[in-house]
Amino acid sequence: MSERIYLLPLWIRLWHWTNALLIITLTVTGVSLHFADPKLPLVEFSLAARIHDMAGIALATLYACFVVANIVTGNWWQYVPKPPGVLERCIVQGKWYMFGIFRGEPHPYRVSEEANFNALQAISYWVIMYMVMPVMLLTGITFLMPEFAPDRFFGFDGLLPVAILHYLTGTVIIMFMIAHIYLGTTGKTATSMFKTMVNGWHEH
Amino acid sequence: MFQSWRKTILTLLILGLTRALAAHGGTEAAAIDPAVAEKNRKANEACFACHTEAGLKNPPRTDMDMKKLAETLRDPKVFAGSNHGTMDCRQCHGQGYNDYPHSEGSKNEISPCSECHATRVARLEPQYDKSVHARLEGVKAKFTCATCHDPHVNLGATLLKDPLKIAVQDNQACLECHDSDRVFAKYAPDDEKKPGIKKARPDIDTIHDWLPNTKLHWKAVRCVECHTPEVKANRPLSHEILDKEKAEKNCLSCHSANSSLRTRLYRHLVKEEVAQFGFTNSVILSSSYVIGATRNPTLDTIVIALVGLTLAGVLLHGAIRIIFAIRRKGRKQ
Ligand code: HEC
Ligand code: HEC
Ligand code: HEC
Ligand code: HEC
Ligand code: HEC
Ligand code: HEC
Ligand code: HEC
Ligand code: HEM
Repeated sequence: MSERIYLLPLWIRLWHWTNALLIITLTVTGVSLHFADPKLPLVEFSLAARIHDMAGIALATLYACFVVANIVTGNWWQYVPKPPGVLERCIVQGKWYMFGIFRGEPHPYRVSEEANFNALQAISYWVIMYMVMPVMLLTGITFLMPEFAPDRFFGFDGLLPVAILHYLTGTVIIMFMIAHIYLGTTGKTATSMFKTMVNGWHEH
Repeated sequence: MFQSWRKTILTLLILGLTRALAAHGGTEAAAIDPAVAEKNRKANEACFACHTEAGLKNPPRTDMDMKKLAETLRDPKVFAGSNHGTMDCRQCHGQGYNDYPHSEGSKNEISPCSECHATRVARLEPQYDKSVHARLEGVKAKFTCATCHDPHVNLGATLLKDPLKIAVQDNQACLECHDSDRVFAKYAPDDEKKPGIKKARPDIDTIHDWLPNTKLHWKAVRCVECHTPEVKANRPLSHEILDKEKAEKNCLSCHSANSSLRTRLYRHLVKEEVAQFGFTNSVILSSSYVIGATRNPTLDTIVIALVGLTLAGVLLHGAIRIIFAIRRKGRKQ
């Protein structure tokens, strides 16, 4: 039996899978709305709008809970890359993803209760959760309540910048999601990291 | 008798004038000469002395039925900005209103629209006759062109230009009745189950609760967008209000690249459409951002490419990992 540590409390796991489900739902319905076309067999427009609205509100609520829980439990500290040597650690980690991983080298930084994420993870999660997500949510909420959108925007309808920001941040989140799911296969075995997210135990 | 005779002469004069002004001498009303317009404006001041808010406050005489007058007020500024703003009131109302008290029966002598708009009425009337309002027993008798078109207020779409203003004006015509129990009861037929009692007015927002952001849609599109049959591009809107079963419920009729808004609310602007930053349906974008319709193919290509590259990168990385893992295994054995 390999060594294992209890890494992820229940609330983080519950949050993670709810978040994942909502973002996948929002992606599928969002794509159906944006690329609406009688010839494309996507989710029917009014159904997509209804689901997207509900999932969007749910995600905004979940995000508020996530922020509060992170403050209360102190989990936010995990997202802060700790100096000194952040840059070096990022480079080492990047090199491992580009070369070491192919040669079967072990992960350069060992996961521990104190440092759940490597430096590269901490930075990218921080950017996604605290920079991209707020923009995503705020533009989504403005879309829901267009009376709060600017009235005009350089001769265009004021909803245009909101829509474009929403679209672009959505794209960033989808790209992140693809990379994120893939990197989930880089644990000890291809599925061990997914198991950790389910039962909370990390295998070294 | 004398009144109507005078009116006929006046009408013939106007028809002669408008025909002379019309380029091809059709039976269609045409714009009025500025000098004539100025003369008409002066003449109308006489009517506005009583038929305005100011007139009601400061009546030129004291022997009038003020309650009735209060129901007949017109706004000179609004009238001046309307389709018929350069006309003399008497061109439609006849000479019976020259003096007060107005002549008995003048009310029944208002010129019908066809008197000046013969060509258009000939085109529109068959469509109008097929409309729900012209077919429903109890409704049709009270419904006329003026029920929707206030000839003192409305301004044609081509002159109003701004689609959001057109939407306000045209929806006002329907909502004034469909959103008011008082007005609706005046026109509504009797309830089928309870004779003698007027049919209850269904609430407009409830009927359309399948349409999200209902109130926002009322500001950005017109009732007639969904309640009239499709017409060819460049043709004016049909005047046939369809049965409710035939109304448009498909969101994609507007929310797609090939949006029907181009042939409807934005019809008069499409000819002058200027592509802006490569957006499809740029003509709509200056008034409304319409999901699915106002998109940018260049941006979409970039976004699809970025997501595609991420996916390809990940798959390539995975493939290399698998190949290396197999080679390592082979070496170990
Ligand atoms: C001295 C005030 C006064 C002037 C000037 C006046 N009106 Fe009136 N008008 C009234 C009043 C008061 C009524 C309310 C009904 C009534 O008492 O006959 C009325 C009613 C009307 C009506 C309602 C229909 C009807 O017959 O009941 C029309 C149409 C009308 N006027 C048109 C005109 C026009 C057109 C002019 C200008 C050529 C004009 N009026 C000038 C006072 C005036
Ligand atoms: C293009 C024709 C046209 C012109 C021009 C016109 N009217 Fe009218 N007016 C009508 C029609 C049609 C009606 C009847 C509306 C209806 O049936 O609801 C009417 C009705 C009225 C009424 C009676 C409203 C009521 O509630 O009974 C008044 C008052 C009136 N007009 C005043 C004026 C005045 C004042 C002017 C000039 C400033 C004017 N109109 C110019 C066509 C015209
Ligand atoms: C149920 C309401 C309604 C009724 C009744 C109605 N209209 Fe209209 N009409 C409209 C609307 C809405 C428009 C705006 C369409 C557009 O943007 O061109 C319009 C546009 C018009 C136009 C300008 C566009 C064109 O097709 O040339 C004319 C002229 C016109 N109507 C005349 C009439 C006449 C004449 C009648 C009576 C036979 C009539 N209308 C009855 C609602 C109505
Ligand atoms: C006495 C003549 C006369 C009568 C009666 C008349 N109009 Fe007009 N109408 C005109 C003139 C003149 C114009 C301005 C020239 C033009 O745009 O065709 C006009 C313009 C219009 C326009 C704008 C045209 C456009 O292309 O958008 C509409 C709509 C209209 N009238 C509807 C009506 C309706 C509805 C009635 C009946 C209630 C009516 N008119 C009665 C003379 C008349
Ligand atoms: C002056 C009142 C009035 C105006 C203005 C009016 N309507 Fe109506 N409409 C009615 C009445 C009354 C009925 C009959 C209601 C019923 O039988 O349930 C009706 C019925 C309808 C129906 C239902 C038809 C059906 O199949 O049962 C539709 C759709 C409709 N109107 C659309 C419109 C639109 C669109 C406009 C504006 C262009 C408009 N109406 C303007 C009074 C009005
Ligand atoms: C997006 C398209 C759309 C627009 C815009 C729209 N409608 Fe409708 N409307 C419909 C459809 C579809 C139905 C049939 C609803 C059903 O059967 O559930 C309907 C039904 C109705 C009915 C019949 C109600 C009944 O059950 O008797 C009336 C009246 C009506 N609409 C009036 C209006 C008015 C007034 C406006 C403008 C404020 C408007 N509609 C705008 C699509 C539309
Ligand atoms: C007649 C054309 C038309 C039809 C049909 C139509 N829409 Fe719209 N819709 C619009 C327009 C125009 C706007 C832009 C409103 C604005 O922001 O100015 C809009 C905006 C929207 C929005 C964006 C509101 C926001 O958050 O800013 C949603 C969601 C929407 N429509 C959903 C639907 C659904 C679902 C249907 C079908 C049940 C539908 N629409 C049918 C014209 C239409
Ligand atoms: C990963 C998350 C999300 C993605 C990928 C996404 C994607 C999209 C896309 C592509 C559109 C179409 C916009 C257009 O064509 O311009 C859209 C519309 C919309 N989005 Fe999102 N979105 C996400 C999250 C959210 C959230 C969190 C909210 C609300 C809080 C929200 C609310 C809306 C609303 C209101 C619309 C307008 C259509 C409607 O009312 O359904 N979205 N979204």
